[in-house]
Amino acid sequence: MGIATASQVEPDPIRGEPLVQGGHDFASVTDAVCGVIEAKRPPLIWFISIAISSIMTLVLFAMIVYLFWTGIGVWGVNVPVGWGFAIVNFVFWVGIGHAGTLISAILFLFRQQWRTAINRFAEAMTIFAVICALVFPGIHVGRVWFAWWMFPIPYQQGVWPQFRSPLLWDVFAVGTYFMVSSIFWYMGMIPDLATIRDRATGTTRRFVYGLLSLGWRGSNRQWHRYERAYLLLAALATPLVLSVHSVVSFDFAVSQVPGWHTTILPPYFVAGAIFSGFAMVVFLAVPARQLYGLKSIITMRHIESMNKIMLATGSMVGYAYAIEFFMAWYSGNIYEQFTFQNRAFGEYWWAYWTMASCNVIVPQIYWFKKARRSLVVTMIVAFLINVGMWFERFVIVVTSLSRDFLPSSWGFYWPTWVDILTFAGTFGLFFTLFLLFLRFLPMVAMAELKNVMPAAHPVHHLSGEKEGH
Amino acid sequence: MRIIDTSQENRSFSDLAPNVARNALFVSVFGILASLILTFMLGGGLERFFQSYLVNFGYFLSLTLGALFFVIIQHVVRASWSVVVRRVAEVLSSNFLLMAILFLPVIAGMDHLFHWLDPHAVDDEILAGKLGYLNRTFFILRWVLYFGIWAGLARFFYTNSVKQDETGDIKLTLRMEKFSPLSVILFAFSLTFASFDLLMSINPHWYSTIFGVYYFAGSVLGSFAMFALIFHYLHKKGRLLQSVTLEHFHDIGKLMFAFTVFWAYIGFSQYMLYWYGNIPEETVWFLHRQTGSWTPVTWFILFGHFVVPFLGLLSRIPKRRSALLRFIALYVLAVHWIDIYWIAMPEWFNNGVSFHLLDLTLFLAIGGLWISVAARRLGRASLVPSKDPRLSDSLAFENS
Repeated sequence: MGIATASQVEPDPIRGEPLVQGGHDFASVTDAVCGVIEAKRPPLIWFISIAISSIMTLVLFAMIVYLFWTGIGVWGVNVPVGWGFAIVNFVFWVGIGHAGTLISAILFLFRQQWRTAINRFAEAMTIFAVICALVFPGIHVGRVWFAWWMFPIPYQQGVWPQFRSPLLWDVFAVGTYFMVSSIFWYMGMIPDLATIRDRATGTTRRFVYGLLSLGWRGSNRQWHRYERAYLLLAALATPLVLSVHSVVSFDFAVSQVPGWHTTILPPYFVAGAIFSGFAMVVFLAVPARQLYGLKSIITMRHIESMNKIMLATGSMVGYAYAIEFFMAWYSGNIYEQFTFQNRAFGEYWWAYWTMASCNVIVPQIYWFKKARRSLVVTMIVAFLINVGMWFERFVIVVTSLSRDFLPSSWGFYWPTWVDILTFAGTFGLFFTLFLLFLRFLPMVAMAELKNVMPAAHPVHHLSGEKEGH
Repeated sequence: MRIIDTSQENRSFSDLAPNVARNALFVSVFGILASLILTFMLGGGLERFFQSYLVNFGYFLSLTLGALFFVIIQHVVRASWSVVVRRVAEVLSSNFLLMAILFLPVIAGMDHLFHWLDPHAVDDEILAGKLGYLNRTFFILRWVLYFGIWAGLARFFYTNSVKQDETGDIKLTLRMEKFSPLSVILFAFSLTFASFDLLMSINPHWYSTIFGVYYFAGSVLGSFAMFALIFHYLHKKGRLLQSVTLEHFHDIGKLMFAFTVFWAYIGFSQYMLYWYGNIPEETVWFLHRQTGSWTPVTWFILFGHFVVPFLGLLSRIPKRRSALLRFIALYVLAVHWIDIYWIAMPEWFNNGVSFHLLDLTLFLAIGGLWISVAARRLGRASLVPSKDPRLSDSLAFENS
């Protein structure tokens, strides 16, 4: 059902291309995926990349030390823009971290079988993005030795965090998200880790992967429980996909600041997060599949499907921009009207138009199948979407704050070199973690992938002739 | 693979259609007569007539829109499970021509419904700024456009699908798929602005960017409930016994559950953000609904529209018992009606609920016509798209 045979040459317009191409069977899938980890040494480009990314990570740490040593004054934030790069980057990275759970949970519930080739990959990316995001709330508090006050820990002073503050909700929302995605990711990986253990030649390797695979033997009973747990986790993770970025949007929307206080913000943030998350997945998937020879596993069909999701979510974001603009006018509220005019034509017009063109206009190219299936276009668009989504957060945060209700307190925000290097450093952290993942963990969910191959289908041999009817 | 023999199955509604259509028409005529009597002879008054009319119009419009959305989205995602249930949705969404005719009384009653038409509106500084959008001509023009889009889309999907019953041409499927993404965009904007016009502008001072999504969520939920009812009925009449299985009921139930939660999420976003911001011009809308006898209705919306169906649909059991699912579906359709009522009425009756028999008789009047027209069309073609290229997948579909 819905699974085409691997031998098909002409793509079936009704069933689509096969999910796994290139005549793979179970063994060759295992070889292809495990081969990446078992290779004596990774490709040269991996070494170059990790050298750069770890240097960037060190830059991040240096900037954090400098910040702690000197104080928040080294950043560009000041009255009236008290929220600058830190919150922009936080929202940006949390947003990136949305594709993974969408792919592993929501697409699973929607029975989208194409997700199997990319879900592991996307989940890993999610976790690393959330780690990068969590750096910022931790360091932006000023007196970081009090950061633990964010957690509701009973202690002798009897002081509790402000439960009415959306910033506290963030701690719970993002914390839960991080926990559930990590469990989901790890649990899904257990059968594959066992495969690596079984293939391992060295003792250390066998021991480490043996430890990680928690005694998985692949028995019927284990598979049964594994699939139950997977379904339950998917169902539990589904509301998380929506809740995390909704809560992040509350940081803005519960305030009375024009441009922030609007009811569509939660679903609009969620759509934007999925949009940027997919852009990042595809941005990483394209080079990885080329480099590691996984083109027949992460196929053009996968790339195309992700590009379609970007078109859909990009259009949702465009819808929200349009409705916000209309409503600012319709509201008759002069502050709202001013805010939106100021966004488009004020001092930060360049940020606004970067955002609008990258997020709304650029993805429209995906109406064309040729563009969806072109790797060059895919890479360029994915890059631009990430730029656009970063600017979206910048526009929301900075334009509204820099133009307060009182013209006497208006200001202009500009990041300092510390801001910029800290942000750049998080990319270093992200890519370092990601490159380590590529080297040591199976980047494709082999067990799940095999499930959607025709050979896994109980009637595969019977229906061989029927497939073309 | 299960072997499904559908050769003996009854896939036609043509024998029952005239009966159902006639009975529904009787109900409608009764509703119309009763409404007229209530309005003119028992002192209901025209104003009340139009108010009740708007609620019921908004309700049946939402069900039609939900059905159209279902049809479009199946083509966007190339769904296979839903082929056997798609025809009913295509038929329901073809009711837009009827809805367009039923819109005429709304135009006739505009002066009673929308106070932005008041000649004194110009004196209100805020309203004066909106009159470029909120005025009679532009309003009517917009609705001509909305109905043009909706009826056009519904017709496109219905005729191509029915044509495929004859020809079995795969190209028709591909053609519908090709136009479906664009249809979503047209649908999204037209539904949004229609909900602003029809329901939000009853209080022209108030605004909420999420309002269109809220109406959308309720519409889709309502239409899924409608599908569950209709398939239960068809099964009882011995139709589609092999095609539409428990698995399809299960999926409809799951989608009802999903949209129950989605509706709550959207409703919560709208309420919580305005409550927390506590700006009078925004909270006033909720204040009307939390004053006097509207307060229990608001509580009912919270529990009745979310908590009860959430718990009711959570387990696998009710989704796989079509009689139980029918019960929940009826309930969901009822609370969806109360939701629309709750959106519109408090703006005219600030002091408390003022239920009028017209609310019910007009429900019968519009609903009867709606069902009558749909039943007649349902009788004209097969109850399933019998030559859809994904039909075999849909028939064999099982929830693992």
